[in-house]
Amino acid sequence: MSADQIISWLAATLQWGGPLILVSVGEVFAERSGVIDVGIEGIMLCGALSGVAISFYTGNVLIASLGTMILGLVLGMAFAYLTVTRRTNQVVTGLMFNLAALGGTNLVFSLLSATRSHRVATFPDLFPASFGNVPIIGPVLFQLPVITWIALVLPFLASWVLYHTDWGLNVRAVGDNPKAAATAGLSVIALKYQAVILSGVFAALGGCALTLGRVGYFASGGMTAGRGFVVLAAVVVGGWDPLRIALACLVFGAADAAQLRMQTTGSHIPYQFLQMFPYVLTLAALAGLVGRKRPPKTWGAPYDPKKLS
Amino acid sequence: MTSTKKRDRFITLPVLGQIALFGGRPLVGILLGLAAGAGLIALSGVNPLVAYWAMLKGAIGSPQSIANVLVRASPLLLTGVGVAIGIKAGLWNVGEEGYMYMGAIGAGAVGIMPLPLPPLVHITLAILAGAAVAGAWGLLPAYLRAYRGVNEVVTTIMMNYVAQFFTSWMVHDPQPMAEPGAFFPMSRILAPSARLPILMPGTSLHPGFIIGIAACVLFYLAVRFTPFGFRTRMLGTNPEAARYAGVNVRRQTLLVLVIGALMGGVAGACEVMGLKMRVYQDFVSGVGFEGVAVALLAAGNPLGVVITTLFFSIVKTGGAAMSVSTGVGGPMTVVIEALCVIFTIAVGYSERKRLVRADKTKEDEEAPQRVG
Repeated sequence: MSADQIISWLAATLQWGGPLILVSVGEVFAERSGVIDVGIEGIMLCGALSGVAISFYTGNVLIASLGTMILGLVLGMAFAYLTVTRRTNQVVTGLMFNLAALGGTNLVFSLLSATRSHRVATFPDLFPASFGNVPIIGPVLFQLPVITWIALVLPFLASWVLYHTDWGLNVRAVGDNPKAAATAGLSVIALKYQAVILSGVFAALGGCALTLGRVGYFASGGMTAGRGFVVLAAVVVGGWDPLRIALACLVFGAADAAQLRMQTTGSHIPYQFLQMFPYVLTLAALAGLVGRKRPPKTWGAPYDPKKLS
Repeated sequence: MTSTKKRDRFITLPVLGQIALFGGRPLVGILLGLAAGAGLIALSGVNPLVAYWAMLKGAIGSPQSIANVLVRASPLLLTGVGVAIGIKAGLWNVGEEGYMYMGAIGAGAVGIMPLPLPPLVHITLAILAGAAVAGAWGLLPAYLRAYRGVNEVVTTIMMNYVAQFFTSWMVHDPQPMAEPGAFFPMSRILAPSARLPILMPGTSLHPGFIIGIAACVLFYLAVRFTPFGFRTRMLGTNPEAARYAGVNVRRQTLLVLVIGALMGGVAGACEVMGLKMRVYQDFVSGVGFEGVAVALLAAGNPLGVVITTLFFSIVKTGGAAMSVSTGVGGPMTVVIEALCVIFTIAVGYSERKRLVRADKTKEDEEAPQRVG
């Protein structure tokens, strides 16, 4: 590998890792509150489409991201209603969300035929173009769109919120011991709703970052390509800690970027093994082979306020 | 107590009670899903009644279309019953997508070998190979769930992707299974002796749906009338009680999850041997997840799986015809399916809550109750 290839690979790592980190920032709160939001794959897909569509009609990336986040809020609320209020199985509900989103985005996209041939307005770069001439770090760091920088900073904020604010403590309490949290006077339902809605908002934003970060168009037929599940994997591998999850997202982003390069250039390592890597690592983490972090105690379990035991 | 008594009498009605109990919720969910779908169809500027009529005609209007419905039903029946038996045991075996890939690999590996065998033997061997590979694949999440307590839904989802990429690798050129120089990654074509017979000339109707319906009936009887079925249901309703009653909970968990994997393997094998004739990269594309939806709509009842599978296959097969004749987008069918399931699971809980509340007002306050 030449130096140029390594630099372009590192830049692509950040570019592919950024959306994953954005999605993971919301997901970690949902999972810490005990809800596995498997619907993030579908919400991401909706966000990817709505970002392109709004950007196409308004030409304004800010409006596009805000509109997409509102869409994520609505979808997150729907997911919270089903899994928290209705207490449906979180994973199955999520899978159905993803199925509906796959069909729904294909359907809407076929109606929005005008956006097909156009590249829409994308996120601007944070630094002026001349910064890209700085050797080595220039092309890696200074040619990134704003949204990727936001993604790189957000995990620190999320970590602070989770560990150093009352709200973060409450969310963790709800996920580990809802009964005790309720006894202490917290509204378990409301906190779960807030956490799940947050995961919806960030999943949509992550999807928007995927399309408006660089490429500027939407591709029919599930363009998120399982990235929502990669985030679920990263949350497990990162041990439900925002910073470690962000690191896992970057590693998975690097694998993704390398895999895409190997598909085009050809390599003696099969690229499918790199595609498998996040999932295999997650299995190892869940099996206790890698890391020793325990999931939130009510991970994936519905909360019934009237149940006594 | 009157309400519980009334409910008991209701249940003891042999057929009606069952249909009402197991069919009521999904029926409401499906109707709501169809209604919401009608709204979406209307939004895209087509009369929903016309669209649904086109869908129905496209699915059961001719012998060919009925054959198509049955072809689509075949993998759904097999994966659906695999998930359903898990639901009965309180386990969510959502790895069917992966089991189908592994089943296809197993069946494909045996099927592409030009063995000097009569078709019946070759077909049986290939299906068994598919089931065996998928079963071995399912052993890992099953072991982790049963003996290490690892959440089976997350592991099986992750393994779906591993299986998908593994299959993709297996059918790429340098691997022995792959077709050399193919324009799209695929395996070599199956030997003629390993192909399932075509039941109706001019269609691709293969006997997969018969295997599927047989599996559904078999598991219905097994769940209802055998000690295995009793242990399974016990595990689903109250694992603690099952443990106290001397059920080997771990072994039963392992068994139920591996059975789901075996069924998925057979589904993948039939899909390759009856329809595709090759293992293609990414050929499953969501059928395994639809199997989960089908089992969920049937509330884990294996006979219900037959009905919900027919509904799904009709929607899918008819959806293609609907899209051609009315211009409603093809993906609409997927949306309708997902909406039906989402409404069903949403409706499901409220009904149970009503029952529990009825119990609660009449019965003792400390009566043990289970919701969710």
